[in-house]
Amino acid sequence: MAEDNKQIDSIVVDGHDELTRREMIKLGGSAAIAVTLVGVDSAAQASQDKSPLFFTKHEFALVDELTELIIPADDHSPGARAALVAGYIDFRLSESFEENPRTLWRDGLKLIEQLSQEMHGKSFLESSEEQRIALLTRIAQNEMRPVKPEEMFFRELKSRTARAYYTSKIGIHTEMEYKGNTYLKEFAGYDAT
Amino acid sequence: MNLIRLIREASAEVDLKRTYDAIVVGSGAAGGMAAHVLTLHGMKVLMLEAGKKLDIDKELKSTEWPYEHKRRGEMPPDSHALSLNEYNIRQPPYATDSKSAHVYSYVQGWGGSDYSKNIVVDERDHPYTGTNYAWVRARCLGGKTNIWGRLALRLSDLDFKAKSHDGYGENWPISYKDIAPYYDKVDLYLGISGVKENLPHLPDSIFQRPIKLAHAELKLRQSLKKMNRVLTPYRAGVTTDGLKHNKYRSRCFGRGACNRRAGGCDIHAAFDSPTGLILPAMDTGNLTLRTNSIAREVIVDKKTGKASGVAFIDSETGKSYEAKARVVVIAASTLESARLMLLSKSNAHPTGIGNSSGHVGHNFCEHLMGSHITGLVKDLVGKPHTLDDGKPGSFYLARFRNLSGRHPNFIRGYGFEGSSGSSMYPGNATSTPGFGSSYKTKVRDYAGAFISMGAFGEVLARYENHVDLDPVVKDKWGVPVLRFHYKFGDNEKKMAEDMTYTAQEMFTEAGFEIVDLSRRVLTEGWSIHELGTARMGTDPRTSVLNQFQQSHDVKNLFVVDGSSHVSASCQNPTWTIMALAWRSCDYLADQFKKGNL
Repeated sequence: MAEDNKQIDSIVVDGHDELTRREMIKLGGSAAIAVTLVGVDSAAQASQDKSPLFFTKHEFALVDELTELIIPADDHSPGARAALVAGYIDFRLSESFEENPRTLWRDGLKLIEQLSQEMHGKSFLESSEEQRIALLTRIAQNEMRPVKPEEMFFRELKSRTARAYYTSKIGIHTEMEYKGNTYLKEFAGYDAT
Repeated sequence: MNLIRLIREASAEVDLKRTYDAIVVGSGAAGGMAAHVLTLHGMKVLMLEAGKKLDIDKELKSTEWPYEHKRRGEMPPDSHALSLNEYNIRQPPYATDSKSAHVYSYVQGWGGSDYSKNIVVDERDHPYTGTNYAWVRARCLGGKTNIWGRLALRLSDLDFKAKSHDGYGENWPISYKDIAPYYDKVDLYLGISGVKENLPHLPDSIFQRPIKLAHAELKLRQSLKKMNRVLTPYRAGVTTDGLKHNKYRSRCFGRGACNRRAGGCDIHAAFDSPTGLILPAMDTGNLTLRTNSIAREVIVDKKTGKASGVAFIDSETGKSYEAKARVVVIAASTLESARLMLLSKSNAHPTGIGNSSGHVGHNFCEHLMGSHITGLVKDLVGKPHTLDDGKPGSFYLARFRNLSGRHPNFIRGYGFEGSSGSSMYPGNATSTPGFGSSYKTKVRDYAGAFISMGAFGEVLARYENHVDLDPVVKDKWGVPVLRFHYKFGDNEKKMAEDMTYTAQEMFTEAGFEIVDLSRRVLTEGWSIHELGTARMGTDPRTSVLNQFQQSHDVKNLFVVDGSSHVSASCQNPTWTIMALAWRSCDYLADQFKKGNL
């Protein structure tokens, strides 16, 4: 209720307008959420800081690198690593109700290592960036209709990476510059003429 | 605002010794409206709701960001949402073979479903049998109005008198002029947003401030004008200017929260029955509410054959009770209302109360969801992202088929609902191939450049499409469940083909590049617009209710929800449900005062 939210003196709407006090009271606590960007992704952070919940340390390092190759940092925004994507994937797999995705990931990561040995004679993390990209390019070639196990794994890897990145703070605000989920005085857009 | 606290403060204790003026079964759009109108007339009303009282504001947390939620808004791992394939490959009951602790309908498969899992029913407790059907149910105070899609449209005489137009089915026992004043009342009392278009087949409401269109939507609107077709801003059952007479609701602030998750508005700008109708009804002092009360049977006076009350089960304790009333108003939702009538067997009504015609459960109709199309708007690629989702809906494309001309392949019509531009999650992230910085850039450049829409068409009311009671299967409380005998027919399939054709035609004409076109007709039930199981009519042999939704057989029994609709039209039914319920309850109160019930 409103009396619990005295710390919010005024809410900036649309850059310059303020909500009236009466509206504030009506909106109660929900107004606070929209204007303060709090919220640390605790689950992903825990995985990232301590030991992973599902992956081995080696697997985790592998996943962390794979996700960063899929969505890398660039001059526009940080990438999957900074957005703690591997940590989030690890947490969700650790609590998965079905055994199926866990097996898929475990076997998929083994395949990555096998392919890396086959293609470049060294482990994935020891190979050069160019070699890693060559490997990913190979397993990504049938992305829309995957057939081979490594192609299936790429699809799973990518879809979880995208899901985790674009729902993260970095993904939503820095990368996509999402403008919504805020209090507007007027609807945005064009009148129907 | 704490809804629960407000309701607790306002609610009187249920007195099972007294005889209420009316019992209303259900608390959704129809039940809420019945309670509002009857209490306004001074009648003492007991409302029975099968589900729980939920603190909706705490459930929805509308503006919480995905990363503030442990699972980014998804449900816990032991909860499962049924998929389209599961609905079609398997037969109901759908939760039987699932290993998951909780099984929910498909709407819980949408992003942010963790916020609505307590609103919809757990399929494990609520089985049904028969043909494939995606039945979405919300057993809680306010029912599905807590998460409804908010599209608020009127029907016209093209719908009420459809038989006169094409010879099929039955005309409604009312015409537009009978219901128009009540549409007006609903508009003014609850608030609706939109733009006047002066279309005879989609009458205008008394609109509050309209929602605006995004770039691509305006472009499509202008292109469609040349084809004599109309795209109008979403007509949302949302108050955009506020409602001076209702202290429980706020005006819309364009947070777009209602478009994420399974819907819902925790500031109650979007209409929901608890704040729009039930709390104001409680403020009259004439409404008593009992939740967790599953209506089991309408009780009948052996001497007169009239309704004398409702037997119900407490969902928490399993104990049975009876409440007495002079009038019984059923508003449990189209399918649950039919179920309750069929369950209410007595010597006076051996096939179920109000069912001398044998039509209860029959003429079951709804909306067919067919073609879904996505187009790329090339001039938006690479442009800075704009705020496109800060509104309770985007656009509605009004029916244009079979208005005056005749399509050679099918009768009746369909409309489209759609949206475009940037949203919180870029839907193209998984459909864009590749990886690395080129992939990342492409997702960003294209994310706001898509427009998509999906069609909703009229399913013809057919006697053979029906529900009855399963002779064996019971729900968690031992109540016989519904068995479905319901399939789309030839007219629906032909209509679906045309939806696909016209969707392509309109997008191409507007200059959009079609990137995705789904021809697949979604499973029966998908639209959540089930109607017709106790239809109105003038002939007691072929209809269940009269024009005031009063049983032909039992004059103190009314059924005021979508089950009374004679045909489905292609417009979303909620506004019509409420306008009809208001009209019928005015009549009910008048007859009650005159002692005719």
